[in-house]
Order: sequence, then structure tokens, then C-alpha cells
Amino acid sequence: MYVGKNVPHDSARGHVTGESVYVDDIPHLANELQVGYWWSPVARGRIRALDLAAAAMIPGVVALYTFEDIEGGNIFGPIFQDEPLLAPGEVSYIGQPVVVIAAETREAVDAARKAIVADIERLTPILTIDDAVAAQSFIGTRRTISRGNAEAAIAAAPHVVEGVFRSGGQDQFYLESQAAIAMPDEHGAITVHSSTQNPTEVQDVIAHVLGLSQSEVVVVAKRMGGGFGGKECQATHPATIAALVAQKTRRPARIAFTKDEDMIVTGHRHPFQNRYRVGFDDSGHILGMQVDFYSDGGAFADLSTAIMARAMCHAENAYYIHDIEINGTVCRTNSAPNTAMRGFGGPQGVATMENMVEEIAVTLGRDPFEIRRLNCYGTTDRNVTPYGAVVENNTLPRIFDELVASSDYVRRRDEVLRFNRESKTRLRGIALTPVKFGISFNTTFLNQANALVNIYRDGSVQVSTGATEMGQGVNTKIAQLVADELGVELSAVRLMITSTEKNNNTSATAASTGSDINGAAAIDACRRLRARLADCAARLLVEGEADPSPSPESIVVREGVVFDSRRPAKTMTFGDLAHAAHRHRVSLGERGYYATPLIHWDIEKFSGRPFLYYTIGAAVSEVEIDRFTGMMRVLRSDLLMDIGRSINPGIDRGQITGAFVQGMGWCTTEELRYADDGELLTHSPTTYKIPNIQDLPEIFSVAWIDNDTNTANVKGSKAVGEPPLLLGISVWAAAKQALLSVAAGRGVPLGLPATIEEIAVQLATIESV
Amino acid sequence: MRDHLELFLNGRKVRVSGTDAFRTAANWLREVRGATGTKTVCEEGDCGACTVLVGTPRDGRLDYVPVNSCIQMLFQLDGIHVVSVEGLQLGSELSDVQRSMVDHHGAQCGYCTPGFVVAMTALRESGAAVTGREAREALTGNLCRCTGYDPIIEAALDMTGGHGRSLDELYPPGPIAEALARASDGVRIDANGRTFFAPHTLRDALAFLAANPGAVIVQGGTDFGVQCNKRGLRPSVMMTLAHLDGLDGIAIENGALVVGGRATLAALEKFTETRVPALHGILQLFGSPQIRNAGTLAGNVANASPIADTLPFLFVCEAELELESVRGKRAVGINAFYKGYKQLDKAPDEMITKVRVPLPGEAETVRLYKVSKRRDLDISTFTAAIRMTVAGGRMSGVKIAYGGVAPVVLRLPRTEALLEGAGATEALFREAGDVARGEIAPISDVRGSKEFRSLLAANVLMKFFHEEIAGARVAPGTGAR
Ligand SMILES: Cc1cc2nc3c(=O)[nH]c(=O)nc-3n(C[C@H](O)[C@H](O)[C@H](O)COP(=O)(O)OP(=O)(O)OC[C@H]3O[C@@H](n4cnc5c(N)ncnc54)[C@H](O)[C@@H]3O)c2cc1C
Ligand code: FES
Ligand code: FES
Repeated sequence: MYVGKNVPHDSARGHVTGESVYVDDIPHLANELQVGYWWSPVARGRIRALDLAAAAMIPGVVALYTFEDIEGGNIFGPIFQDEPLLAPGEVSYIGQPVVVIAAETREAVDAARKAIVADIERLTPILTIDDAVAAQSFIGTRRTISRGNAEAAIAAAPHVVEGVFRSGGQDQFYLESQAAIAMPDEHGAITVHSSTQNPTEVQDVIAHVLGLSQSEVVVVAKRMGGGFGGKECQATHPATIAALVAQKTRRPARIAFTKDEDMIVTGHRHPFQNRYRVGFDDSGHILGMQVDFYSDGGAFADLSTAIMARAMCHAENAYYIHDIEINGTVCRTNSAPNTAMRGFGGPQGVATMENMVEEIAVTLGRDPFEIRRLNCYGTTDRNVTPYGAVVENNTLPRIFDELVASSDYVRRRDEVLRFNRESKTRLRGIALTPVKFGISFNTTFLNQANALVNIYRDGSVQVSTGATEMGQGVNTKIAQLVADELGVELSAVRLMITSTEKNNNTSATAASTGSDINGAAAIDACRRLRARLADCAARLLVEGEADPSPSPESIVVREGVVFDSRRPAKTMTFGDLAHAAHRHRVSLGERGYYATPLIHWDIEKFSGRPFLYYTIGAAVSEVEIDRFTGMMRVLRSDLLMDIGRSINPGIDRGQITGAFVQGMGWCTTEELRYADDGELLTHSPTTYKIPNIQDLPEIFSVAWIDNDTNTANVKGSKAVGEPPLLLGISVWAAAKQALLSVAAGRGVPLGLPATIEEIAVQLATIESV
Repeated sequence: MRDHLELFLNGRKVRVSGTDAFRTAANWLREVRGATGTKTVCEEGDCGACTVLVGTPRDGRLDYVPVNSCIQMLFQLDGIHVVSVEGLQLGSELSDVQRSMVDHHGAQCGYCTPGFVVAMTALRESGAAVTGREAREALTGNLCRCTGYDPIIEAALDMTGGHGRSLDELYPPGPIAEALARASDGVRIDANGRTFFAPHTLRDALAFLAANPGAVIVQGGTDFGVQCNKRGLRPSVMMTLAHLDGLDGIAIENGALVVGGRATLAALEKFTETRVPALHGILQLFGSPQIRNAGTLAGNVANASPIADTLPFLFVCEAELELESVRGKRAVGINAFYKGYKQLDKAPDEMITKVRVPLPGEAETVRLYKVSKRRDLDISTFTAAIRMTVAGGRMSGVKIAYGGVAPVVLRLPRTEALLEGAGATEALFREAGDVARGEIAPISDVRGSKEFRSLLAANVLMKFFHEEIAGARVAPGTGAR
């Protein structure tokens, strides 16, 4: 059996030798064009005139296209259709595509870009959430989740804290920037290689923009050099632009962003600005809570409303709060359309909650952990979320208690407080924060998948699903599931390139659901194949013998060997069986399908059971801050999670460490800085600082509990892609703790990210009081 | 005079002529050689995805170090054995590093992986016993967004199970070093209006500078390459110093640290470890191993950035630069070298041949500070050097230099004067902070606001007071350096 085993990633060998091919590694095709675009240099404006004459004269420039050249529809969008592929006169953010440039070389593309002259009337842009609220500039409508009477509960509470919590954006910073190659096919059809998490979306938009039917567009996605949500919707733009060029010129067209371009023109994790009021009693029980979430959606809707929904569904994080009101509004601003990023609103909701817990604790002079434990969701009661779902098999209390013990939290907290009283140069902080992350797309219909399993006559197997491989190991996990289900050796199973030609109408590989739904669809196909093969084997294994009679139920197939359990001595190989089955005209291919059961979501009332289950965890982090410079180190982090039964412990561990460090980056060094006119200043790793290997906690421990109760999901596993990212918040909370410990009982309005500047300025403010 | 480059790539000799010599090494590997294992992400030395090993012949051996191929022009690699990720296997067998990266899940999306594998190979080649600390130091120049680094560190702690061959076993150095014997009268390539020259002697170098006043000296290229890739720099005449004999020495002479004009930061880091620990500390935070292997001290000085990390130290030590041209040699004090933002007291035909740093005495305290958003592989927001002797509670010989607070690195004469001869008290240092704030003219930029820099200008004095004078309790082993 392979499920539960630590087998290497199926691409690992190619990765370490450099053999793995990413889109821009595909050798240049004869006749291929290089594609780029000229984008709006202003955040908001009206194009009065566009002079392309000089650009067109540059040697090597083959074509220049504007919105007027689009034959299909120029406007698209995954939820609301409000986004133009090429700006039609009006420009809405710096980086918005205006003129597509196709040329023989990348140098010519760059030269043409510089030669384009535009006369743009500048309009006053909306660059902040405050600006947007003032201008009533929103996307979609304000939504509410409400239970009980929050207003009254807060009014009656002995203590109330309120404030505004701000969290910043975050660049996905996949290492492979967006890239696509489009190739014209016969009869006007198009094939596109795209570094996308969402081939179906790319296919849909290309068909729409090019005026083709969806069947005329094939999108192929072999692998990505990272996605993190940034290629869920926004791989679409470059791919469609390349397809446009391929359609018009009948030549292959390649687009590959530089990192700077990528960071400027694509959206990021949404900044949030959340107003909160929370009422509680002397013991720290939360009696009522009201939050008003505002996110910066950027210029177009993209996935912003879905991201807000997830933020709202995570507003209470791990705590049972009976009287609660959660409001969410998406602001339309003049920044690049913000989009999915690992966690998808969850981190912004949870950080707001954890900030409240810290403030409740200061108000009462208590250890914040006590507040967390006290308000934690119950296992048999106090276990219904504000949107009406039951937190089943709740392992939060268990994880809290085990982690507090294993991390030695209580003693270490005392030590930290003592350290801070004595040291004049450093400050330390320690905090435990939990996560309860709902698994499934909030939007119910997306929770479906199909898979194609083909067995060849030698017994080898090809599997194709809509899942896209971005490093998370989804293909490896599916291979393990298929090997076990069919009873073949892992080496006999090969996961094939993802293509809309084989798997149609797929959902994005997102919301941590990739292995859950695609794995389940593959299993569905395998079960049917297995049944047919068992029938065949049953006959073959008793062939020419009077007795016993064929019995498919007694057929065992294990790691490539087939036998009848009643007579295990007589065996055949899986390859022989496949070969024989083919001769007996048994179909050796099957398409599986899976639709996540039990879930439902009322999009108007914002209630229901949007998630099949929750992935749960907690982390204790300890930090040390230089009091003079604000520079911070993470001394130690201990993570404890409930990930059900792991399909591949090595892969899951890597997801946890990777997500945690990414979350830590969001909370500390990753800061998107803009100029006053809305231009992004931090568009490369020189200025945008994701965590470095040296930033890893000096002591870093990752563990998970044994939990086999998650029978609702494939093999009792739990999704692990996003949830640990939210544990990075423990680092931020520890920093806040450090500052609070010298603030003499006053609050410290620490923003997120807690950059060195933010910390140093907060410390200076504390000292000046 | 040779009119083409000669180098080795993964054990095979390659000859490059014409415009290809002016490509970056990464671009050449990917676009000309089809060796797409080497990835480019940032094209400015900050991610390590493009890391390759460069083996320099030395006495019949090859010394391999990792560098960022995205900011190495191919002409910088004349006479070098370049090993890219494709060159590490033995047939179909993985190397030890590759094997452990597979076994420990060190690769997820794989895009950073070739760079890590190459950087880790350098660590293995060094033969050092690897602990978590060495692994982190060796891999500081490589970013990974997927793994959270932990699995990669585990791989670095293992590094077994593959073919087990060292680079010298894969590529016997003797024949390669021999085949790379330098052209005795240098290399010169003229192509498409651009000229590259690699002189063999200092005299040729100076003559070339005199004849081509616009020529740009390219050493490590760690500033030059970034300016080409990101700021459109495209000089027509370039000269490297890599083939010169000499100028790479580092020594202590008469109490002064003397660094040759082409000595690398990595060599300086090694040299100063026991001899000049204060400088060593700041060099460890300088860029990454890849950057330090390529970059030079002279380049740091000549590039004239107000946030160059070595400068505050050179300022408080009152270092002297030796400038040489066909007209002769002269010495310039570092404190007088910078005339304004990126303006130097240096004629176009002059080059830096030596940096002479009179070292502080035993009784003196020198502290260097680098404040950056991320501790490692980050450009400073603010830098400082504070030097003084404290005896009987009194301060003397006070010298303070700040970087990142003005167009050039500044000495702070008024602050120095306030402290000079005075008793070291917290109150005085607080006052000194106010004076210091008045001596600087910081601006707001992407690395910090002017208010933050001004705050740091005061805070760093308090930090010095508490850590070095008041002897505040400092927890061992956790230094946020
Ligand atoms: C990723 C990255 C990280 C970095 N981190 C840091 C850091 O932490 N701290 C820091 O201070 N800097 C940093 N730098 C900047 C750079 O590495 C240093 O300034 C380095 O010292 C430059 O040396 P070089 O040999 O590479 O110079 P080059 O790029 O080769 O040259 C730089 C300039 O100096 C001139 N020059 C070089 N040698 C001479 C000479 N002998 N005489 C006259 N002129 C000469 C050149 O003509 C050129 O104008 C970083 C750069 C990168 C890309
Ligand atoms: S591509 Fe990032 S360091 Fe070279
Ligand atoms: S494995 Fe994806 S960036 Fe390192």
C-alpha cells in the first residue's frame, strides 16, 4: 500500500537535475513571436490619444493590438464580468494592459514598449480603502453573517474593546513568473500552454475573447513554478494575450513576464481594514462581537467577493461566539485587481480575531492563551459556527492542550516576561494562535472534479485529472491513491499533463481541495475499472477447471499481482490481466467523477454548510526584537496540526513548513509599498522581502496528531495546502506580545506586517508616553 | 591577443565570439545552449535560481564557488569552468546533493531547486562539517517560496546516497586548467559596436583606460549586472581585471588592512574572520555567498552607494584609497572621496588598486550596524559605524559614520564633538541622538521613511551605549546582529 507512505514527489528527479520543463523552458518554435504589452502608466485616467506609429516602425515589431482589434468579447471575469482584457479608453490601474506588442525578439518588444506615446487625461485615483468608502466605490454588495444580537450583547458586556485592524497585501511571489505559449491549430483553433492553476478558466476566457467555441481551445498546463493563488485567475490575461496574437498572426506566440512586470501588473493578497468591537466579561468570555471588514479589491472584481466570503467565514476563527455580526464590503480602487492568495481571505479574518484576543487579554491583564482556551469551540456543544455549520470532530481543545504542554508554553511565557523586565536591549514575546480552516470552495458548484484513468495492455496506467501541479504534490498523492485502488505498483502509475482536452469543465486547483476532489474522482474511475478487471480475472483464474466457479469478490490485486483469495497460489501479473482483458474486449479506460457531498451555501443569507470539514492546528512562536532597530528574529516555533490521515507525510510536512513560512512573511517582512500616485515600488526581491532561509525559526518543530475521524474525505485525509499559512500569525501575535509587555497595560496598535519600521515606530511611541 | 572567449561548460570546452560574449551567462545558458535547468527569476542577484559554479584555475586546480549567472556577463567567465545543474549527474546517477534533495522533499515546484542544488554542491565541496548553521549560511543566497526551507536544510544535513563523486572526480581539473591557460596578451572582443577587453597586466589595463576614458571596469559585476538588467546601462567599452596578476592580495601591513583592488568580498570575509571581527561581522551580512564570491571591496567603494555596507567602517578608520593611472599613483582619503551622490574624486582613467585601512587599536571599541528589513540578503535601510575608546568612563577618539541618511556616507562631526572627552552617560547619548538627527538629511524611499531613518540615527547611539558601555544583559546566542 502506498497511501500513508513518504514517497518522493513524482517530479523531484527532474527538478534536481534541471530536466523539468516549465512553459518558458519549451524550446523556441520556428516562426515564434515574442509578446508583451504596454500598460497604463497612470492609476486612473482617460486615454485621449494613442500614437503607435513609432512603435510599429521598430525593426522586428510585427503587430500592435488594442481593444479595437478584439473580435470576441473584451470583458470577462470569474464572478462578475467587469474586466476588460485591453483597456477601452479608460484606464483603471497602473499595469493595466492597453496595447499588445508582438515582435520577433524580446528586445524589440521592449523597444516598442518605450516607443508608444499616449496622451492620458489623469483622473483622481482611489488608492485606499478610506478613499473608496468616501467615494462609495464598491464591488458587489455588503454581506452579513449574523447570529443572536451582537449589538445588545456588546452593550451589556462589562468590558468592550474596539478599534481598526489593518493587514497589508502580499505578493504570491511564485518563482516562475506568469508565462504562456499559444499555437494556432487548424481551422482557427488554438492550443495554449499556460502556467495556470485554472486551465478551464483560461480556456473559457480565450474562447470568449477570440470568439471561438470552448471546444476550439485547448489549454495545457504541465506544471507551475509555484502558484499560491496568483495563477488561479490571473494566468488568464497573459495566456489570452498570447492567444490573441496567435490567432491574428497565425504564428506561435510566447509571453513570459519578468518578475518586475509580474509584480506590477498582477494583483496580490487583499489588504483589509477591519473595524471591530468586542464585548467580554471579567473572566475573558467573549459575549458579543461585531466586525466590519473592508477589503481593497482593486480595479476589477476578480475573486474579491469570494475572498471576502471566506474572510467572513473565518472571522471568529477557533472561538464560539454566540452573539456575532460580521459584515463584509469589497472596495473598488485603482490598484491591480487583487486576487487569490493561499488562505483566500482566511488569514485576514483570523488575524483580526487574534488581534482582538490579544487586546482582551491586555485589558484583563491575563495570558492571552487563557482567553483562547476559554472561548474555544466545544466538542459537543458550543460548536455551531455563526453561519450555522457544526464543527464536527472538533480537535481544537485537544490540540490546544497538547501543544501548550509540548511547547512548554507556560514556563517559557514566564521566562519571556522576566527577560523583558531585565533586558534593556531586547524584547521577547511568545504567543499561541490557532486555526480552524474550512475545506471546500465556498461556492458549492465548484466542488466537483473528473478524472481519466487509462490502463494499457502491459498493465501500466495513465491518469489525467483537472488538478494542476504547482509543487504541492497533488499528482504524487493521486498516483498513490490510484496505485492502491487498482492494486498496482506505484511505478506503474503515471500522472499525465493537465489538459482541458482530457478533463473538461474543471475547477481551479485551489482552496486546498486539489487532492481531495481530484483524488476522489480518480478513485471513482479506478473502482469501476477494478470491478471489470476482477470479473475478468475471476474467469481467467479458474479457466479450464471445473471448480471453484468464478468469484470476482475473491479477487485480490495487490502491487501488481492478481490472485483468487480462495486459491492464492495461482497468480497472474496485472500486466497479463490487462492484456487478457483487452483480448476479451473489456474496456480499460474509465472516467471518474466526484461531487463533494453534504455541502450547501445560501449565497443570499450567507449561511449553510460551505465546508465538508475543517483542518485544524495551532502554533506557538517566540520572537526576539532589538529595541533600537526593530529587527526581529523568530527563536522558536512549534506547530501541531490535525491533518487527518496523511496520504504522504513528506509532502504534507513540506506543505506545512512552506505555508507557515509564507504566513510568517505576510506578518513580518513582506510589505508592498506604493508611491503617492499608486505605483508599486516593491516589485522585485531586492525590495520585496519574502522570508530567507535565515529567517526560519531557530528551533522549528512540526507535528500532527493521530486522527482518523475525517471519514468524509478521501482516505480520511485532510487538506493541508492553506491552513498552516494562518499559523504564521503566531509570529505576529508574539511580536505584539513583546510590545505589550512594555506598554504598561496600554494597547499597542501594531499593524500587519510587523516590519522593522512598524515595530521601531511602535516602540518609540510606547517610550514617548 | 585572443578575439574570443574560451571557457568550459560542464567539462566541455566552449569558444564564444561576437555578441554572445555580451549576454549574461544565464541568458547564454538558456537561450544559446538550451540549458534551461538554470532558471532566471529576478535577474538581479536576489533569488539564486540562476546559481552556477565557476571554477577558476589556480595552480593546476580548479576552485569552485557559486555565483549568480544572471548578473555575470559571459565575458567575465573567460578562462573559467562553469558547472550548471545539468553537469552534476554521473550518467543517469544523481549526485549526493540531488539524491538528498529528492529524498527529503527539498523540491516542491522545483523552480528554485537547480539553484539550491548548485549552492548546496558548493557546500559539499567545501568539505565542511555541516550543521544547521552552515547550511543556512551556504544557502542564504537562494530563495524558495514553497518549502519553508526546512526540508532543504534536512537535505543539506544529509547529502548522501548519490554517486558520491566530487567535482574534481567528475571533471579532473588538470586537463581543464591546462586547456584554460590564459592568453598572454589578453582578450579583446569587438562586436556590434561594443568592446570587451581583459588585460593581462596592470600596465595594459591602465593604458586601455587612458585610451578609452568611457570604459567601465567590470569586476564582480554585482552592481554592474543589475544596472545593465534593470536600469538600461549599456556601455560600449568594458574591461575586466580577472586576468591580471596581483591586485588580489589581502594583508596586514604596519597595522593597516591592505586590500588589493580586485580582492573579492569572500576572500576579505575569510581573512577578517579572526583578524578584524567587526568588519567580518558586517561582511557576513553582505549580500549572499554568491554576491560575495563575485563582488569586490573596490567595487563597493567605487559604486558609491550611500548604503554600501563596508563604507561606514572605512570612514571611521579613515581608510585611504590608492588610485592609479598611466599618469601615476595617488592616495585619497575615503572621507574626501565622495563629492556628491555617486560623484567621486577619481578621473576616468584612474582605477582603485588598493584600499588601505588603518586598523583601530586593541583598546578601542568599533561597532558596525546594518539595519535592513530582512536581516540577510537585503540592502541596508541604515548603516552606522561607531568607534571610540572608553577609559575610566570617558570617551575619546570618537568617530561616527552613518549611511543611508544622505546622498553620501556621512561623518557626524558635531555628535563626535559632543561625546569626545565626555563621560559616557545615558543622558549624554540621548542628547547625542538629537544632535545626530540634526546632522543628517534622510529621505523616504522604498526601504524606509525619513522619520524611521531619523529615529534609527538616534537609536543606534542608544544601542551602542547600552550594549557596549552600560553592558546591559545580552542573552547569549540569539544576537539579532
Ligand atoms: C543581490 C545583491 C545583494 C547585494 N548586497 C549588498 C550588501 O549587502 N551590501 C552592499 O554594500 N552592497 C550589496 N550589493 C552591491 C554590490 O554587491 C557591492 O557594491 C559590491 O561590492 C560590488 O562589487 P563588484 O566587484 O561586483 O562591482 P562591479 O559591479 O563590478 O562594479 C561596480 C562599480 O565599481 C566600479 N569599479 C569596480 N572596480 C573598480 C576599480 N578597481 N577601480 C575603479 N572602479 C571600479 C565599476 O566600474 C562599477 O562602476 C548587492 C548587490 C546585489 C546584486
Ligand atoms: S535570477 Fe535571481 S539571482 Fe539570478
Ligand atoms: S520549490 Fe518552489 S520555490 Fe522552492
